[in-house]
Amino acid sequence: MGGVEEHIFNLSQCLISHGHKVIVMTHSYGERVGVRYMTNGLKVYYLPVRVFYNQCVLPTMVCSLPLIRYIFIRERITIIHGHSAFSALAHEAMVIGRLMGLKTVFTDHSLFGFADASAIITNKLLEMSLADCNHCICVSHTGKENTVLRARVHCGRVSVIPNAVDTAVFTPDPSKRSTDSITIVVISRLVYRKGVDLMAQVIAEICPRYPQLQFLIGGDGPKRWLLEEVRERGGLQDRVTLLGSLEHSQVRDVLTRGHIFLNTSLTEAYCMAIVEAASCGLQVVSTKVGGIPEVLPSDLIYLTEPNVPSLLLGLETALANLRSGNVVPPWDCHHRVALLYNWMDVASRTETVYHRVAGEKSKTLGSQLRRYMASGVLPFLLIISLAHLMLRFLDWMVPHKVSIRFTTSILLNI
Amino acid sequence: MEQRQRTWKKNLYENTDYPDNYTDKTFLEELKKNVNITEISPLTAILGAGLVTQELCIIVFFVAVYVYLHSGWIEPETVFVQSSLVAAIGYLTYRIVLTDKNYNEVLITDLRTVLIFVVFGYVLSPVLKTLTDTISTDTIYAMTTFMMIIHLIFFDYGVPSAIVSSSLSMNAAIFGSVCLASRLASPFHAFVLLTNAVECFVLLPILLSKGRGSVIVLAAMITTAVYALWTVSLIMMFLFICVTLFVTVLCPVWFLRWQKHKENIYGPWDEAVVHDVRM
Repeated sequence: MGGVEEHIFNLSQCLISHGHKVIVMTHSYGERVGVRYMTNGLKVYYLPVRVFYNQCVLPTMVCSLPLIRYIFIRERITIIHGHSAFSALAHEAMVIGRLMGLKTVFTDHSLFGFADASAIITNKLLEMSLADCNHCICVSHTGKENTVLRARVHCGRVSVIPNAVDTAVFTPDPSKRSTDSITIVVISRLVYRKGVDLMAQVIAEICPRYPQLQFLIGGDGPKRWLLEEVRERGGLQDRVTLLGSLEHSQVRDVLTRGHIFLNTSLTEAYCMAIVEAASCGLQVVSTKVGGIPEVLPSDLIYLTEPNVPSLLLGLETALANLRSGNVVPPWDCHHRVALLYNWMDVASRTETVYHRVAGEKSKTLGSQLRRYMASGVLPFLLIISLAHLMLRFLDWMVPHKVSIRFTTSILLNI
Repeated sequence: MEQRQRTWKKNLYENTDYPDNYTDKTFLEELKKNVNITEISPLTAILGAGLVTQELCIIVFFVAVYVYLHSGWIEPETVFVQSSLVAAIGYLTYRIVLTDKNYNEVLITDLRTVLIFVVFGYVLSPVLKTLTDTISTDTIYAMTTFMMIIHLIFFDYGVPSAIVSSSLSMNAAIFGSVCLASRLASPFHAFVLLTNAVECFVLLPILLSKGRGSVIVLAAMITTAVYALWTVSLIMMFLFICVTLFVTVLCPVWFLRWQKHKENIYGPWDEAVVHDVRM
């Protein structure tokens, strides 16, 4: 479970407790198709849409339209909240929802550059999709700058609402820590973007210098071989432990075993992992990329440049402070993080956005098309028009009774 | 205007006094544009485009030799002697003036290579001549044109790019010349034409790569190509002049004028680059 899924789950739980009706819609995961009920009656639709690459569905725009429309009507949805720029399903549902006169909110969880061809195409797609979106949410101020530039959304239509952590779960437990060695914990997917190359070099350099150092690495991915190679080469089998992929429920028990948390990401919009680590009372050493400098107060984090010498310096400062006892005590650390981030606060801030969006006027088809036209990709208008015609046809084929309900139904989808 | 208690800070936990969609005046302060831009002078642009023109000129030289041999305006022996002389002068310039190596030992290996090529080329020229004999002349000309275009596209102009492939470029040009060789009168004609092909498409680019960025070389080559075409066909000469003007003048002008539309955006959201991987 990554940051996005966790965000959706926690947000929907808080919204349900505020008296809203929340439906989650996503694509099928293997055999998991149909409707499932989660904690507190959270209803999840797993659409029978095939995943084709890296958990993404093909952006067909019209193929799943009847199904999505049916869910919107059946659940009496009033607001659609799409998550993640890479989710074709979210964009599709938002376009269809707007044509049906519903309000849409979009949360962007990732940062994207402007330099290469794939970035240019993705940014254009995002601009097209967000041209008529009611409101956007970003998880950090850097994320907002990025989204405003990428999707040409007006900055007043973009709110910054960070993620949070479940501080009731992520509590410190200093008794679990080893007393005769210092443990550095890393928990991330082992992919290039998470800086595994940096991590491997740091491990190779710092282990010979500090014989009492242990590494505990949770997560799996295509770059795992690199860490295994470093471990082989340095003869560090007893000091570097690779735990493989972890369930989210196991993360806390791994974190509490460590003294220092290391994050080597090369790009990150918010970085949930460092907040979870700080909430467990660990000292955090992290690269200073993307939104990371905004997340934690400066005495809870050691920020470094994304290169090996700077990361080594950061780790050594943390180790020296640990030895001299010049650290924030784990429980103090936990209380401070708990004060800064909690899901109830995130949910009520998101609710403010929903109320604001619900008050906006519905647009006519003409004005919607004019908004899309501004993105400059005119063939997209044909797809929108086709979707509109299909909706009109379905309204005639499978009419729905008009009913007005006053609770807000929110559809979160990924 | 209500009095704010605290000033806005770019972090996620201290701005409780501000609405979530508040945009501070420091918004996009860290945005940088065109960090790695390099100033390009008109001369550099023209000389860069000149590399393409040079390659075009070489193709014109080669085709002119073919037309002369094909129409019988010149004896193959004369072409062989003259082109060998030019090649020898070019070789000496390359070895003595442009590369400062001990050329005595290199000379022997080079001479051996030349000997092997000449003997094998001469022995095999009857086969090469009849290789594409049964194919119609129109097809041969179309094929040669196509191959020369491939040569131009994939040639190594000194810019590292995915499309560059010197082996494909050279092979296409040699294949085009083998096609043309079958239209000539005798195997010796074919041998002379292929010798010329090797000189034009293999040896000359090596020599020219040393003299990159020279206006004199470029001007000399264009003049020679124009003269060669003038003796062959006036229409072709005008066409060549137009193409040369387009490539060497108009394209660089566009290139320079459109530089100001370059807008690369950099900021804190960019992915960090891992530099020193010593694994």
